[in-house]
Amino acid sequence: MKRNTLAHSLFALISATALAATAHAADIKIGVAEALSGGAAQYGISIRHGFELAADEINAAGGVNGNKLQLIIEDDQGKKEEAINVFKKLIFQDQVLMVFGPTLSNSAQAADPIAQAAKTVAFGTSNTADGITSIGDYVFRNSVTEADVLPETLRVAVKHAHIRKVAVMYGNDDVFTKSGYDNFVKALEHAKIPVTTTETFAKGDVDFKAQLTKIKATHPDAIVLSALLAEGAPIMVQARQLGITVPFIGGNGMNSVKVFDLAKGASDGLYVGSPWSASNESPENVKFIKAFEAKFKTQPDQFAAQSYDGMHIMVQALKTIKLGGNLAAERSALRDALPSVKWTGATGAFQFHRATDKAGKPAGYDAQQTAIVSVTKDGKFVIEK
Amino acid sequence: MTVAWFGTFWDVYSNLVLSVGTNALLALSIWLTLACGMLSIANAAFMAIGAYASALLTLNFGWPFPVALAAGMAAPALMAFLIGRPTLRLSGVYLAMATLAFGEVVRIVLLNTDRVTGGALGLNGIPQLTRWWHVALALAVTLAVLWRMRRSRIGRAFEAIKEDETAAGLMGIDVAGYKMLAFVLGAAIAGLAGALNAHLTFFIGPGEYGFDRAVEILTMAILGGIGSLTGPVVGAVILTLLPELLRALQNFRLVFNGLILVLIVLFLPRGIWDTERLRRWAGIVRRQA
Repeated sequence: MKRNTLAHSLFALISATALAATAHAADIKIGVAEALSGGAAQYGISIRHGFELAADEINAAGGVNGNKLQLIIEDDQGKKEEAINVFKKLIFQDQVLMVFGPTLSNSAQAADPIAQAAKTVAFGTSNTADGITSIGDYVFRNSVTEADVLPETLRVAVKHAHIRKVAVMYGNDDVFTKSGYDNFVKALEHAKIPVTTTETFAKGDVDFKAQLTKIKATHPDAIVLSALLAEGAPIMVQARQLGITVPFIGGNGMNSVKVFDLAKGASDGLYVGSPWSASNESPENVKFIKAFEAKFKTQPDQFAAQSYDGMHIMVQALKTIKLGGNLAAERSALRDALPSVKWTGATGAFQFHRATDKAGKPAGYDAQQTAIVSVTKDGKFVIEK
Repeated sequence: MTVAWFGTFWDVYSNLVLSVGTNALLALSIWLTLACGMLSIANAAFMAIGAYASALLTLNFGWPFPVALAAGMAAPALMAFLIGRPTLRLSGVYLAMATLAFGEVVRIVLLNTDRVTGGALGLNGIPQLTRWWHVALALAVTLAVLWRMRRSRIGRAFEAIKEDETAAGLMGIDVAGYKMLAFVLGAAIAGLAGALNAHLTFFIGPGEYGFDRAVEILTMAILGGIGSLTGPVVGAVILTLLPELLRALQNFRLVFNGLILVLIVLFLPRGIWDTERLRRWAGIVRRQA
């Protein structure tokens, strides 16, 4: 009995935050598991802002059929063990209806099976790696995968810059850039564009002249670059210093306004594709950017836009199901309602399409959305069609 | 009541509890080399070898779990034997540097053999075969073997080498042989921890076996204290549970986590489980009573 009391107080201590936040019974509890500290925190915090903005808007407009959304936000530190712990806490202890997150694809590979086994929807807004949604039919994402974005980026770039052969450069020690490279290779093969040379680099490298000199000697019409900004920006600067004037075709990691600071004076001629662009002037996007800037005093990015849309997409499904009664039934009702949601938000028109697992059987749901391709010009992203 | 409560607790914290177990194994693996006077920080790399070897076997060839676990211990042990020959001639900080470099080599090999290991993308969909009793049994057997060994000729030889290598050699102790034994056994234990961990978390990638992990393993052992077997286990328990217990502090929890570690190191430089100090405290209590 004594052990029981001790354990109970421990239990209470751990869940103190969650309990303190509980307001009234009609709240719909939504779990948010994102990397709010550690190396991926810049993405996680942006994502969190997107969710908070969307939830506030929905609650201000009267909630979902009169019920308010209550976000339970937990930090997964960008680590797979933490992501598992947080998913378990949200699903089994906080008894949330569904979970958004985690931030990183690696964490999703570890944590999403937990949600699948517990028959609870796991909804990723930033996982772009292949195979996440093959985990099972409770796994959803509205993040457009690189497999969808990169062929579109390539197509637009080829059309505008008359590209016949390309050189490829990528970071081979990072999960984003490696997966981007794999998808570029597939897209290039599909478009029948020959590759003159493939060069690699690693995180933390600062000098890329050796690789770029080699690339220059093969006279490509463009350089396909799968890099994060920290390496991608200096690569662009050094390429221009070496007299390489051909355009760059970048992956997801290069899609940030920070490129104009980090590659000052050498940022022109970079093609990037993304589901979201700050220059997109659709009414939904203009409204989102204005509201975001008013609330957080900072500019939104792609990650905030995707989480903002993710919350709205989930709420569309939530509106159609009957709440109250048992949680397991609510969870599976939400799962059944999600696939048919159609929504036009900050990232444009959106719907789900079914993914398959390794054996080819139907599994989770991926995003079906057209990418917006932009090219950098005079310190701005200009949309190209 | 208790049963239902335990069910929820286990649902939420099973992964955490099992992580305590695998981390304790890791701390014991480095304790073994430290007990023999060697500062080797290759244990994250041995963990990686064990994790990848076992995961590849269950994932690609559907081998039974116990056999995969055995392979996960044998592969790093073999690797330790091969690199032990040249590197164990080094001592002190030079051995630390060599083993650190070996860790980097393993990480970079894993990154670049992407046909087998998936490169930076890692291995996905590893079957979740690790059960609680696998971890409990592994830890119990490891503790029992190490406890028995400490009280045997091998343990006394380790002690002698740790205190003074030259003197130990002059007494007729096979210094190179015993060092190799500690190194290989440590690698096998780290590999076992890696194999159990891989089959618990569905996913492994090269990024998690880098320098950070190596330092974390060392911290667990040093924080707990390396004077006894209890120390590393205590260190592993604290380092694994502390971030979870501090979750209520939200954004500040990593600050407090760091602060607590600094305070422990400042005030208890010989680790938390310092047998001499514990005995002294016990003595004081007894005298007062």
